[in-house]
Amino acid sequence: MKSNNLIKLLIGCGCALLAFTVPSHKIKIYLIGDSTVCDQPIDRYPVTGWGTPFANYFDGSVKVDNRAKGGRSTRTFLQENRWQPIVDSLMPGDYVIMQFGHNDEAKEPQYAARYTPVPDYKKNLTKFITETRAKKAFPILVTPVSRRRFDKDGKALETHKEYTAAVFEVGAQEKVPVIDLDKMSRDLYQQFGANDSRLLFMELDSAEHPIYPMGRHDDTHFNDYGARMIAELVLNDIKTKDLPLAAHIVVGQNKPK
Amino acid sequence: MKNIWRCLTAVLFAIVAMSFVVEKQQLTIFLAGDSTMADKRVSAYPETGWGTRFRNFFDSSVAIVNKAQNGRSTRTFIEEGLWKSIYENIHPGDYVLIQFGHNDEVPTKASYTNETDFKRNLILFINQTREKQGNPVLITPVARRSFDSTGTVKDTHVRYAQLIRETAAAQHVPLIDLDKESMALLQSLGPERSMRLYNHLAPGENPNYPHGRVDDTHFNELGGRKMAELVLADLRKISPELNSRVVTSNWGAK
Repeated sequence: MKSNNLIKLLIGCGCALLAFTVPSHKIKIYLIGDSTVCDQPIDRYPVTGWGTPFANYFDGSVKVDNRAKGGRSTRTFLQENRWQPIVDSLMPGDYVIMQFGHNDEAKEPQYAARYTPVPDYKKNLTKFITETRAKKAFPILVTPVSRRRFDKDGKALETHKEYTAAVFEVGAQEKVPVIDLDKMSRDLYQQFGANDSRLLFMELDSAEHPIYPMGRHDDTHFNDYGARMIAELVLNDIKTKDLPLAAHIVVGQNKPK
Repeated sequence: MKNIWRCLTAVLFAIVAMSFVVEKQQLTIFLAGDSTMADKRVSAYPETGWGTRFRNFFDSSVAIVNKAQNGRSTRTFIEEGLWKSIYENIHPGDYVLIQFGHNDEVPTKASYTNETDFKRNLILFINQTREKQGNPVLITPVARRSFDSTGTVKDTHVRYAQLIRETAAAQHVPLIDLDKESMALLQSLGPERSMRLYNHLAPGENPNYPHGRVDDTHFNELGGRKMAELVLADLRKISPELNSRVVTSNWGAK
């Protein structure tokens, strides 16, 4: 009788221990892209990539790993061996969200080192997709977030035509979901208007912020506020498209007040 | 020969000069206040206290310790031991920035603190900071977003902001009149644009606020930073010491 109880106790303990050894792999979302996505160094604050606030809105089963890097095109991201380590660590069920274009499309002579013609851009995106899928992970394409540019009538202009079209072509060919951040962000700027949309970008008066003693007028890079609004667009499109990832976006308890 | 002496003198002078380049003494700026200053939980983002945005202004010789908490008045800040956690850690030369009022001034709130007690508590913060050879700085409560029908910003802290000004004058403590300065900022932006500084979210816009949010007291990232920038601008004038520790940057205009 006594030994019976002992066996029961041992089995019980064993079961309890087993419960703790089940691998609890968090779903990883790798973000790859450029300066509009990356975590920015603190000494450049308040410039902020949208990947930084994006990471704040997932439940505990997800970890966002922001591997985006300023100034990178698809080509230089590969050349600098930034992609292979991600492939090596991808687990089934992980995600790769990719947004490139700003540096691929830079045709000016000073950017020759990053410029990537459209055919190569498409080939590189396809490589990211194929290798993500080979690891049973899920690729998501994002069109390059728009720069802030308005015509004299106050209409927000397209700033990435060629490269956004290329993302859609790759998306259709490879049957990968495409988050059209280029269009969504342009619509957001339009809603803010030519003047107020400055509030989203690195537009600082001189002497406003000590890190930018001469001020800043940059219509490509976001400040902390703009980055969060861009992240909201991506999060909401993941929900609209009903991607499986949507189930892991937090549902807040805050009241409207 | 003359040249050699000149060289030697120059070298000697350089050595003497170098010996003065000692490491700056580490300083801490403590922040004591309420929700408009406090660091937020991730689940409350994008609500942002200005104390959070105050971090990025100084070089590594300055630490920011933000003890501000949502809902606190001078009285509850003391009762809950939050003030003690600052007091016990003040070292000579440290700074304590004190901004209360939002929760002291509302008689219906449990945190309500009457005018006499409010002043007495501020004086306690001042005296205990000075006792530790720290530097107290009083800050009037940052404005709420409230405009009258003609588009003129309303003073939302009339009485308690005045109590702070009086206390600062009587105790010879530097004052940052954030109430007045933030009102001027709101006025320059106007009733509509000033909304961009506060935690206004459309339903479905932000996952943390599924039903949206209309909050004219608490800031988003932009408002938190703008208010921090106002405080910094004043603090640079108040304290040459802190001014010398503000980050220097080569980031030029673009």
